[in-house]
Amino acid sequence: MSLSDLVLSIADNKQMLGLRYAEWATRAPSLEADIAAAAMGLDDLGHSRVLLGCLEPLGEDPRGQERETDSGSLRSLPYFDEPWTEWAQFVAANAILDTAFTVMIEACVNGSVEVLQHRLRKMLMEERYHFLHGRSWLKSGINAEPLNRAWTEAIEWFGPPDGEVALLHREGKLSLGPKELQARLEEQLETKAPKVEVDWKGWDPVRRRSKPGAIDEHTFSMLRGLEEKKFAPTSAQSKEV
Amino acid sequence: MTRYKRVSGDAVEYEVFARKTRGEPLHQVGSVVAPDDDLAVAYARATYDEERWIEMAIVRKDDIIELWQPGEP
Repeated sequence: MSLSDLVLSIADNKQMLGLRYAEWATRAPSLEADIAAAAMGLDDLGHSRVLLGCLEPLGEDPRGQERETDSGSLRSLPYFDEPWTEWAQFVAANAILDTAFTVMIEACVNGSVEVLQHRLRKMLMEERYHFLHGRSWLKSGINAEPLNRAWTEAIEWFGPPDGEVALLHREGKLSLGPKELQARLEEQLETKAPKVEVDWKGWDPVRRRSKPGAIDEHTFSMLRGLEEKKFAPTSAQSKEV
Repeated sequence: MTRYKRVSGDAVEYEVFARKTRGEPLHQVGSVVAPDDDLAVAYARATYDEERWIEMAIVRKDDIIELWQPGEP
């Protein structure tokens, strides 16, 4: 594990967050919320691309060929494996997971690595609106289940007290370690996280998750451009062959 | 005169103002409906951020003091 691995994890999670937001662009409780879902989706997809662009300057690109064929090689959290069926899932992801990614980006911007300091700063400005949106909907009250799940996955994603994020913090590359990241997330959301017991022995340090599994087949096909090809004219398809 | 209001329940209507240069005044670009200021800010940015505004502000419609309305002398 390295800083590049962490940046790739943020990028993959933001890509999936953006896609899941976009799925709610016509299903949210109001027209304004529809538009916000679309706008936040676009933001997070853009952020993902910026993060991927940081891998080369960081000196190491951990993306392998397996990403083209194996959905299990993507580094997104289990929360994004399946499309959300309830608005409460959207809100919990928006308030807790999106903010968790933002506090990690803050830790990158305030750390010692120049390329992250410069390239990620603008994201923090855009994320302010995601945060206001998520926190406001969270205050209106949602089911405990998606909320607890989002908290658990956020804390797992920050990593163990003696893991790579803690090491990057000690080296100064990140301004916050796992404990500080959780405290910052709680401070931002003005609430305490539920008690989460993580069995770090079963935790995957590359995908930063404990639960096995991967994103659904349709979404993976879409990411690979295969869904798009279904709508291409027959002549265009035959030319490719 | 009955005026159309698109709010319901706890939601409040906010007017959105913006400008592109320092030299021009803020002008109304639209409105959003939201239950609180934070969400109204997020909605205004999501809905009206397509253009390159240098400033955007929102105000609760109920806080606007009208001097007169269309059709009044």
